[in-house]
Amino acid sequence: MIYVKNLYKSYGKLEVLKGINCHISEQEVVVVIGPSGSGKSTFLRCLNKLEEATSGEIIVDGIVLNSEANVNAVRREVGMVFQRFNLFPHMTALQNVVLAPEIVRKTPKKEAETIGLELLAKVGLSDKADEYPDRLSGGQQQRVAIARALAMKPKIMLFDETTSALDPEMVGEVLAVMKDLAREGMTMVVVTHEMGFAREVGDRVIFMDEGIIMEEGEPNEVFAHPKNSRTQAFLSKIL
Amino acid sequence: MEMNWAAAVDSIPILNKAALLTLELTAGAVAIGLVIGLFMALARLSKLKIVRALAIAYIDFFRGTPLLVQIFLVYFLVPRLLHWDTLPDNYQYLAGVLAMGLNSGAYIAEIFRAGIQSIDRGQTEAARSLGMNQSQSLRYVVLPQAFKRVIPPLGNEFIALLKDSSLLSIIAIQELFYSGKIIAGRTFQPIPMYLTVALYYLLMTQLISQWVAYMERRMGKNDLR
Ligand SMILES: Nc1ncnc2c1ncn2[C@@H]1O[C@H](COP(=O)(O)OP(=O)(O)OP(=O)(O)O)[C@@H](O)[C@H]1O
Ligand SMILES: [Mg+2]
Repeated sequence: MIYVKNLYKSYGKLEVLKGINCHISEQEVVVVIGPSGSGKSTFLRCLNKLEEATSGEIIVDGIVLNSEANVNAVRREVGMVFQRFNLFPHMTALQNVVLAPEIVRKTPKKEAETIGLELLAKVGLSDKADEYPDRLSGGQQQRVAIARALAMKPKIMLFDETTSALDPEMVGEVLAVMKDLAREGMTMVVVTHEMGFAREVGDRVIFMDEGIIMEEGEPNEVFAHPKNSRTQAFLSKIL
Repeated sequence: MEMNWAAAVDSIPILNKAALLTLELTAGAVAIGLVIGLFMALARLSKLKIVRALAIAYIDFFRGTPLLVQIFLVYFLVPRLLHWDTLPDNYQYLAGVLAMGLNSGAYIAEIFRAGIQSIDRGQTEAARSLGMNQSQSLRYVVLPQAFKRVIPPLGNEFIALLKDSSLLSIIAIQELFYSGKIIAGRTFQPIPMYLTVALYYLLMTQLISQWVAYMERRMGKNDLR
């Protein structure tokens, strides 16, 4: 579903990704962990070209990310949820959800709204459809953001530390939605510090450090018996 | 010489008409300025260097030279560019509104640019990640939010424009200041006349302030950020 070959990314002189190779299969849930600044977000953002790779090849769902048209095609298939929600503040929850289907997929308004309401129900926010984001809690905003991404019927979902900006009591409600998605068979790439989540629904965990994949494997295996000394040091700090 | 307010009072019908013209000239200039301002702001933020450079040149020229000079330039340049042998009737109104519109376009461009840049990058990223192209994300996500933020500085620009429209008297447009000046000269009562004219301007600028405050309240209702 996603092929990444020799992905390099530099910001000026700073080399952030130093040759990433990986393959993510359909329905796989891949959890990316690693210390701050190791390039996790950058990697994720290269997958839907919010960041331009310096070199390397990325193929998503059979589409090579090179031309502008291809990039837009890939973005329609790849949903992304951000650490800071990034809901559109001038629109209600439902309007946030239906905007892209209406203008990108040209879904008729009625149909988009029906789907939008279903998705809001799915993330447990049926009663908040007409609220503006600033009237919602962080956890609720993030769930709207997930519904918004799902409204495009993506084949792949990218999550970048989607619970890091939340108060502890709201982390659970967002993780629950993500777990449901994983169980339904969504292909997911999840950057997170939630090791419980990784254990429970992760098919594979990737440990990134200094712009490369240091170690990867089945979550319980990697957490219990990390092979790389870097992985060991990192895990000893957070587990 | 004694101050006599009778002349000022007598001139109220004329001043009303002149004030209306002032408002019309300003409104015309605002309309032109908003359109030019939006395009220049987008050009100023373009990825293409040449487009950006052109926008900067435009903005710098109109903000860096006196409006008075621009009014004359437009007045004489337009017939030349269009190869007109004779000027149409009331040509001065066209030239005046155009000059003010071109001028305010430069200021409004900078206001719009600042407004667009003040919108968090995450907004564009969210829009793009949903598959919207650049113009869709601008139109549905960035601009609606930017418009809210630019209302107060736009209000200031409209007020400045209204006051600056008095410069159009120089090409014999009978707006408020021009009419006041004529009557002041004819009646030998400059002080009551100019005080009255000042009062007219004050009322109109107050009107704009109130309207801006109202728009701000109305648009801010659903968005406390
Ligand atoms: N737009 C940018 N311009 C310059 N440097 C950047 C930019 N974005 C990220 N970086 C740098 O790239 C490196 C990797 O950043 P990245 O955000 O990918 O790390 P991360 O693993 O996601 O870290 P965190 O856990 O803190 O989110 C960091 O050193 C960061 O400062
Ligand atoms: Mg990050």
